[in-house]
Amino acid sequence: MIAIIRLAVFGFIGLSVVYLVVSVYSRSERREKLEKQFDAGDVAGERDAYIEAGMQAYRHGLRRKLILLVYVIPAVVVAVTVYLVNYQ
Amino acid sequence: MLRYLKWGFWTVLIVIVGGFLHYTLPHHDIVRLTNTYNRLTTVGENAIFYAAPDTGTGESTATRDIRFIEAVFPDETVIVYRNEDTGWVWPPYFKYDSSNLQAEATNLKSTAAAPRWISVTHYGWRFPFMSIYPNAVNVHEVAGPDVRIIPWVNILVLSFLAMMVFMLRRMWMQFRERMIEPAMAEVGETWDAVDAKADAARGRAAGFFGRIGAWIATWRGKPRA
Repeated sequence: MIAIIRLAVFGFIGLSVVYLVVSVYSRSERREKLEKQFDAGDVAGERDAYIEAGMQAYRHGLRRKLILLVYVIPAVVVAVTVYLVNYQ
Repeated sequence: MLRYLKWGFWTVLIVIVGGFLHYTLPHHDIVRLTNTYNRLTTVGENAIFYAAPDTGTGESTATRDIRFIEAVFPDETVIVYRNEDTGWVWPPYFKYDSSNLQAEATNLKSTAAAPRWISVTHYGWRFPFMSIYPNAVNVHEVAGPDVRIIPWVNILVLSFLAMMVFMLRRMWMQFRERMIEPAMAEVGETWDAVDAKADAARGRAAGFFGRIGAWIATWRGKPRA
């Protein structure tokens, strides 16, 4: 019983690191994309304002929420493994 | 010399990673089960190839009562599996039904005259020299000794690992492009500025330390982008 709690705690810590890294990466990719879009020249207005608005949209978007799957998928994989190994 | 070192390094790395994966990923044997029993087993130097002591099958002693399953391949070579819980950490099979598995295996025993062919899912290696046994994870009956089993788990795990390596590489490239290279460029520009200042102030500035002082001075009051 202790072992499963330990797995949950350390798993959560490990996955939080992954979550952090993935969200930093995703944000960086989005910012780069916005910068390139602006620099391609088909956007009117000021560069910083355009990028800031794009990042604001990203913060409320679906893609950022999808990163939470980092927690969900491993939990599902563990549950499926437990089922297949012990109850089949 | 350096070339050999490089090759040596990669060879060692591939052997370690490959060996690790080969030990940990599941394999299927199609065998005939001949005997199931448990035996007091001393676990010593080879403990790394047995279950961790706190999984329930062997609390903290060097001698454990371990369940074994004996089997025969179609070509009459033999194999012995151990049947231990894995616990909740490593390897991540989360197996805690070894008693049930032993009962199932006993139920599926057969003789050479009337063989029943069983697919044993297992991980690990059999090295008689080190007294280590693969750990059986699942048993189920199959139609015959020539049934082909598609290793879905291995396909999934290996593709996932390949994707992880690819993503880590992309993340690192992105980090380098967005964080390290701009910082390096900035340092380069700063050095140029320092050089210019130093040229102007040559004779007054005290060589190397003057340069460092000038460089540190450029940190102050720098407008943020």
